[in-house]
Amino acid sequence: MSEPAVRVKRLTVHYEKAPALWELSFSIPSGVLVGILGPNGAGKSTLVKALLNLVKPLSGEISFFGKPFKTMQKEIAYVPQRTSVDWHFPIDVEGVVLMGRYGKLGRFKWPSKADRMAAQEALDLVGMRSYAKRQISKLSGGQQQRVFIARALLQEAQIYLMDEPFAGVDMATERALVELFSKLKGEGKTLLIVHHDLTTVKSYFDWTLLLNSCLIGYGPVEKVFTQENLKRCFGSSAYLFAETKKLAQAKSTGDK
Amino acid sequence: MSPYWGATFFSFLPLFFQRMFLLLTGRLALSDLASDEIQVLTLGLISIGAALIGTVLVLRKMTMLANALSHTILIGIVVAYLLMGGLFGVGIHFRTLFFAALLCGILTSLLTQLFNHLLKLQEDASIGLVFTSLFALGIVLATLFTRNAHIGLEVVMGNVDGLHFDDLKIALFVAGSNLCLILLFYKEWKLLCFDQGLAASFGVRPSLFGYLLMLLASMSAISAFRAVGVLLFLAFLVGLPLIGRLLCNSMGKMLAWAATFGFVISLLSVALSRHFLTAYQMPLSTAGLATCLIGVAFLVIASLRGLTFTKNSQILKG
Amino acid sequence: MLQFFLDPVLRAPTLGTMLMGLASGMIGCLVFLRRRSLLGEALSHAAYPGVVISVAIASFLFPFSEKGALLSILIGALIASLLGLFAIDLLEKRLNVKSDAALCFVLSTFFGVGVLIASRLQMTHPLWFQQIQVFLFGQAATMVDGDIGIYGLLACLVIAILTAFLPKLKILYFDPDFAKTVGMKTQRLDALIYVLLVLAIVVGMRSVGVVLMSAMLIAPPAAARQWTNRFSTFFLLSAFFALVSGFLGNVLSLYVPNWSGAPHLSLPTGPMIVLCAVTLCLLSLLLSPKTGLVTRLVRIGRFRFRRRQENLLKALYKKESYSKSWWLMKRLEMKGWAKQGALSEVGIREAEKLIRLHRLWEVYLVHMGQGAERVHANAEEMEHILTPEMEKELQALLDHPQVDPHKQPIPGASSGVSPEASMRENL
Repeated sequence: MSEPAVRVKRLTVHYEKAPALWELSFSIPSGVLVGILGPNGAGKSTLVKALLNLVKPLSGEISFFGKPFKTMQKEIAYVPQRTSVDWHFPIDVEGVVLMGRYGKLGRFKWPSKADRMAAQEALDLVGMRSYAKRQISKLSGGQQQRVFIARALLQEAQIYLMDEPFAGVDMATERALVELFSKLKGEGKTLLIVHHDLTTVKSYFDWTLLLNSCLIGYGPVEKVFTQENLKRCFGSSAYLFAETKKLAQAKSTGDK
Repeated sequence: MSPYWGATFFSFLPLFFQRMFLLLTGRLALSDLASDEIQVLTLGLISIGAALIGTVLVLRKMTMLANALSHTILIGIVVAYLLMGGLFGVGIHFRTLFFAALLCGILTSLLTQLFNHLLKLQEDASIGLVFTSLFALGIVLATLFTRNAHIGLEVVMGNVDGLHFDDLKIALFVAGSNLCLILLFYKEWKLLCFDQGLAASFGVRPSLFGYLLMLLASMSAISAFRAVGVLLFLAFLVGLPLIGRLLCNSMGKMLAWAATFGFVISLLSVALSRHFLTAYQMPLSTAGLATCLIGVAFLVIASLRGLTFTKNSQILKG
Repeated sequence: MLQFFLDPVLRAPTLGTMLMGLASGMIGCLVFLRRRSLLGEALSHAAYPGVVISVAIASFLFPFSEKGALLSILIGALIASLLGLFAIDLLEKRLNVKSDAALCFVLSTFFGVGVLIASRLQMTHPLWFQQIQVFLFGQAATMVDGDIGIYGLLACLVIAILTAFLPKLKILYFDPDFAKTVGMKTQRLDALIYVLLVLAIVVGMRSVGVVLMSAMLIAPPAAARQWTNRFSTFFLLSAFFALVSGFLGNVLSLYVPNWSGAPHLSLPTGPMIVLCAVTLCLLSLLLSPKTGLVTRLVRIGRFRFRRRQENLLKALYKKESYSKSWWLMKRLEMKGWAKQGALSEVGIREAEKLIRLHRLWEVYLVHMGQGAERVHANAEEMEHILTPEMEKELQALLDHPQVDPHKQPIPGASSGVSPEASMRENL
């Protein structure tokens, strides 16, 4: 495909009348593993929400392989933060994985035998096949994350958006997941991953996107992941930016 | 003369099943139903409706909103009756039911959002203020307009003995709609209860379904207020799903268990109520009996489960 | 007004509702800070079966003693409420029930037990039934002096204990980890707070009723919070609001039936007290000088107006046209920035400050990676917002830049460019 997997043009998203994301423009080709980095409050989750059409941007365009989100919805898989979910919910591992199919099934159909087979295969890929009937409350952090990834695999998407998949996960799981992501990348999939650990960026990702409400830089890791960019993203200048953003928001809500 | 007059608990049940069999095979006319039977069926359907919608509410952690609703429906009922005349004496029509439910549901959500987002008050306080003030207003208006100082009591306690056929029809309608809407959107409910983020990415909007849930809960609460009063309805809404949760590990089974227990407890409460009237000349509140049975059932099952669990693990886990 | 405190029939209800206010207003603060405002709701409903059972027992044991009846009701309510607390804890910790479901379950089942037993008494002992129903929605009007003694004692107990522990509570609530490291027995303190909560509920039941009690634990603290940030003031103000609500509610429940044309109808006091409390709360949320909605709207309006003044000032400085409103010009003159349609010395310096902030911000944005063509719009906004401290930081960070991304000079004290020179540049 000649069109980039994700193209964002001048995306501006406001939160309480002040910019949370500001004039973002970037273009990501298919078949790359991208690490999205930035300090707290930088708008990383807002970016993910904007890409998933969950917040309305003030201005700007987003396209996936040249088409809008609504057309491409079935080709985009979202893996939310593991902690956003109630792990005491009455459901077993297989049930969670099958949820990945709900998008493709549409409103009134139920999962079929073929879907269950696919779930078994996905669990196999993440090394959790024997856990299919286990209650999710009995899983460790790493196992929970694997189940989430298996669920994403079942969506059979072209683009994967993941929110901190390595948070609170054991080393073995982390390594297994990185391998899986590389495999997916090899199959031509595009993965955008919100990441928090600066020490592993160089070894895990091809590309990186540095964000602090505005785009500090994006592109191949060797070019973009530099001291200067990191200083601009995380350093005291970034702190100042956050302070002014807060003040601007306070002014617009009448808090100051 | 009711065929159940003078029946004890043990004679009630066989007689009931016998007559139900006759009803199903067409040998007993609907108009010949005894008041006790109407009570069982109505209360049973109310319980089933509550169990179904309550399961989703419990899993979505929206029970406090349901508690708020169970208080604010008083205002909805007062307004609806003021417009239609006659409070608590006449049975309510479908239109009134729907209109009042819509009003309460919207008012509750709207006002809570107002306090939370516009006036910047923390969420738990917002909910608390909205439902207590609306309830207080409801009591004052109801007392003033019916000139009845004890109206508050009746609203809170309900009166199963006063149920008649119209109430049965409404309970059937509500239970039916709850069942349909939950089955129809079963995948969506499951998704929303477990993972709102993924649901939203699939285009299943949490806010839309939240409003639907509130509407169904309001309708269920309003249909139940004449039988069990506004506050005890919460016991059905929350207690039955919690019992279901103790017995299984899937949402589908939880719905089934909750509904089953709901119907059985309704049957037992009416039977017990008749028994106490016959054997001890003690008229008891059937709604109170039902609530107690829910509590007892929960205790018993929780302890039984505790006993089997101590073999495998030290702490009870869900 | 004074009659409420002197008249033998009126003084007990008046004092009773005010005492209720004091106790619930103060303990409500702690529940409010922990964001567990709905715990009060569950515990007050849980007290109901205690009231019912103890009325039955008391009327059996001391059929003629008013004080005995009251005392046993209070003890019964206390026990039932504490049982409810224990049940909630059990549900949450051992059965993994989520906190909202645990609260609702205890609330409704305990209440149901109360309704069941009360229904029995309704037929067999209608007098007792009347006594019980007083606690459902509150009926302060029938309180007598003897009651006040007991309620007063309990309320004073709550207030005394809270005041004694206030400094410890302050630490516990704002820095619980620190509290543990200095050896505070946080679990015991928490338990004490819950017991005080139950006591306050028991004191308040007679005035407000079990169904509406939670409002008195929420509305006064919510109102007080809008007026102060200081811990002790928060408590005092909350108690004051609750006190006033209690008094007003009691008065209104006597007069409203008169106004509505049914003077012999007795209105329960609970709903009226709650409506007063919530009204006070609403007024605080709207009008408080720090956080009120009206205040915030005024602040937004003032900011926007100042922005327009500053934009006019800039336009005059740059000799650009700007839609001049007479009032806007007058404001500039009143501020000393302009004199008879032309800028004053002070005005010029102000305008330069704005331009300096604008261009400084543009430099910063480019430094952060934005393209130079895009930074103007945001700088237009930020020039009105940046504070002098932020300006200092920017100057230090960017190493005192002399020109902006469009090669225009940045006017200012540290740049060495004279005001007249920069004015010529901008023409």
